[in-house]
Amino acid sequence: MTDYDVVVIGAGNGGLTAAATLAQKGLQVLLLEKHNIPGGCATSFCRGRFEFEVALHQLSGLGTPEKPGPLLNVLDELKVGTELNWLEMQNLYRVILPGELYLTLPANREGCVAALKNRFPEEQEGIDGYFDLVYAFFYELMRAFYMKDPEITAEKYPLYFKYALKNTAEVLAEFLHDPLLKLALSVYWCYIGLPPSRLSFTDMAALLFSYLEFKPFHLQGGSQAISAALLDQILQHGGSVRFNCAAKGIQVADGRVTGVYTQDDVLIKTRAVVSNVSSLDTYTELLDPAAVQPAKLQELGSSTVGPSAFTIYVGLDCDPQEVGITEATNFICTGTDMDYAFARCRQLDTGDDALLLTCYDLVDPSFSPAGCAQVVIVDLKYSEPWESVPPQQYYQTKFDLAEKIIKRVDSLYRGFREHIEEIEVATPLTHMRYLGHPGGAIYGFDQYAKDSSLFVSHRSPVEGLYMAGAWAGSGGFQPTLNSGVQAARAVIRDLGRIAR
Amino acid sequence: MSDFRNNLPGYQEICQEIKACRKYGIDYTMDRGKTTRLVERLHPRRVKLRVSEIITKTPTADTFRLVARDGYLPPFQAGQYINLYLDIHGIKTSRPYTISSSPRQTAYWDITVRRVPDGLVSNYLLDNVLSGFELESSGPAGNFYYNPLFQGKTQLLLAGGSGITPFMSMIREVTDAGLDRNIHLVYGNRLSTDIIFHAELWERSLRHFSFHYHPVVEHPEKHYHGRVGIINVDMLQEILAGEMLDSIMICGPQAMYEALLPHLWQLGVPERRIRHELFTGPGDITHAPGWPPEVSPGSTFSIDINGRQIIPAQAGQSLLTALENSGIVVPVLCRSGECSQCRVQLLSGQVYQPAGVLLRESDRKYGYIHSCQAYPVSDLAIRLSS
Repeated sequence: MTDYDVVVIGAGNGGLTAAATLAQKGLQVLLLEKHNIPGGCATSFCRGRFEFEVALHQLSGLGTPEKPGPLLNVLDELKVGTELNWLEMQNLYRVILPGELYLTLPANREGCVAALKNRFPEEQEGIDGYFDLVYAFFYELMRAFYMKDPEITAEKYPLYFKYALKNTAEVLAEFLHDPLLKLALSVYWCYIGLPPSRLSFTDMAALLFSYLEFKPFHLQGGSQAISAALLDQILQHGGSVRFNCAAKGIQVADGRVTGVYTQDDVLIKTRAVVSNVSSLDTYTELLDPAAVQPAKLQELGSSTVGPSAFTIYVGLDCDPQEVGITEATNFICTGTDMDYAFARCRQLDTGDDALLLTCYDLVDPSFSPAGCAQVVIVDLKYSEPWESVPPQQYYQTKFDLAEKIIKRVDSLYRGFREHIEEIEVATPLTHMRYLGHPGGAIYGFDQYAKDSSLFVSHRSPVEGLYMAGAWAGSGGFQPTLNSGVQAARAVIRDLGRIAR
Repeated sequence: MSDFRNNLPGYQEICQEIKACRKYGIDYTMDRGKTTRLVERLHPRRVKLRVSEIITKTPTADTFRLVARDGYLPPFQAGQYINLYLDIHGIKTSRPYTISSSPRQTAYWDITVRRVPDGLVSNYLLDNVLSGFELESSGPAGNFYYNPLFQGKTQLLLAGGSGITPFMSMIREVTDAGLDRNIHLVYGNRLSTDIIFHAELWERSLRHFSFHYHPVVEHPEKHYHGRVGIINVDMLQEILAGEMLDSIMICGPQAMYEALLPHLWQLGVPERRIRHELFTGPGDITHAPGWPPEVSPGSTFSIDINGRQIIPAQAGQSLLTALENSGIVVPVLCRSGECSQCRVQLLSGQVYQPAGVLLRESDRKYGYIHSCQAYPVSDLAIRLSS
């Protein structure tokens, strides 16, 4: 006798879509979440008149009704696609290198290419060449993998074979010369957490293609609206949810999952577990490491914990235009050397960092109270330097480092500081606190080519255990939302084979 | 299917890398518990405390000096509170108290408790708790603290009664550490004997030119020579004598907010730099604006929980209190409608929610409420998901 068919641990993107899929398919599911609200990263918090978006900047893969993207299909199947108010962003981003580059790239191929050619007229040929490659490469990728070609060969997919394992910097250098142009085309590295020299071209091409073809999106109510809608689906389909209830352990007998211990040491018997907890914690804390195959621990040991972020959430008491913020997504750089920018991620100091500045009100004027604006500034940071800040200096350190960023932002957007009504600073330790992730990592492990699905299987070696979330694939909203659905499908497939 | 990957240029090299990385990799089993340890030294879920000393401040208020049983107190920002978790005659409840000691010293936290007529918790603490008693609290929390990123150096702090506690912590920090700030404290009380920390505030204002202390008493006794009356904008203008302020912070009873907040703009400070501590609601919620007149204070309602249990609730009592009185423990921190820990889903029925409750947009859509600041005004059905 079991209490539930499936226990899902963690109500992040992956846990929510897993639990929703399972509940909709009629399985008895229990979702455990240690925090008091659903979402993990996909959440919001209130300060004064503002409800701050925590993590979603540009949702990828959604597409338009005429041209639906892969994520829309996933959300439609979960019955949350149509009830949310999606807001399409017209531009990819504005890239800013003070004194040298101020360039806005539209979110469509023609416009993007035209904007680049206009700013870099001497590189027209290279720009065309690069975009041709990104598109042709991605089409090959889709034909080979999404269409599940049984025989993938270099003859059929020459571009894929040539470029799949190259890094982005190499490919950019093949087509382009001006470091400013290369910068303009690679600032999205911040969304993955590795600089072009370390970022696989496959990942970069997929990201650029996806945003150009399926458009970047925001939505009314922010990412919490997705989480709340998924939770509602789980409850409506008879799923059980316990908030403020962490899992303490996963019980295994004869190599198979048999139950989950809650924080109060209550054993819940189940046939399967979907873990939306980091794979590090799943294998070293929830499971008895002795029950985990040494090869799995070795595999984990070869991956490195990815970056967290130093994030500043600002509520302004004026329209964004009043301080000169005209784009929703802005990458503010300090130089063209992205290896240097990445190296800065390991420093405590914030004085010379690449920043992402997002203003949601330019996409959704109702996002903040009338006449107000919400601005989120993200600086990717590994947690190590923060781990050695003495607790007594924590708050002072946090304010000093935020001050350096606000000073820079204020010089770029005149009057910014003067209009601050609310401001909240989150460090890697804050992200660690709310996500429970090692290193406060926001994208899971560092996403090198060696850690991609081409080389590593994220299947759990423990029978009945399934992984969902950034740590078992790639980070970001689209991959994590999808990961839960995939995990749920695997559960349903396997449970169907095992008698109750 | 033959493995195409073997033909990918660079594939074998990466496989070699992976071999090396696994061989010389990290043993993450050694990091067990690390994330929790790192978080807990800043934000512990529970702090085990002992009362080291009880200091009588006024005829109606005592300061409890709390030390950590394990010797470690996490850091806090001046103005933040802890929530004390108590078991009073079998009722598990809690109350938030602002820490009034300086964040710069790490030996103890001071909290000041004032007697409230019929106050379950304040009277329990004042009448039953002696030095040596063991207590348990949350980690420090709250958003009413000085923010150097935009609040500026010259501040007016407005306190009423026991609303002095967050400012006491700030003033102690600024004066002890010699911080580059300029503070005017205007502190209103009914009687001069009600003034908590009077001697210390006076003494600090004499020693530190950057701290100015202006007590105001409503009903002065014979020996009192200070400022008399109720704090108003004219009085503040006279006290400030033209000094330009960067920001204002205010903490006191609801009546003080109502009397002062609409007029503070006259002091030349934009609204964005006027901050108040959370509204705690008037003593009797049934007198609050918008309370349905047909619901009399004596009414009783029934609350259906998850379709499994029915408990009673009295009009004028928060849903949280009703749950606690029936022995149902709900996670809770601020008890002021801000932190959202005590949220529950309202399935049917009506509640009254006072101004100042911070609900998310999606909470409104799906009927989630903060039980600490939701007052039943009809029979209810709720979903508790903890």
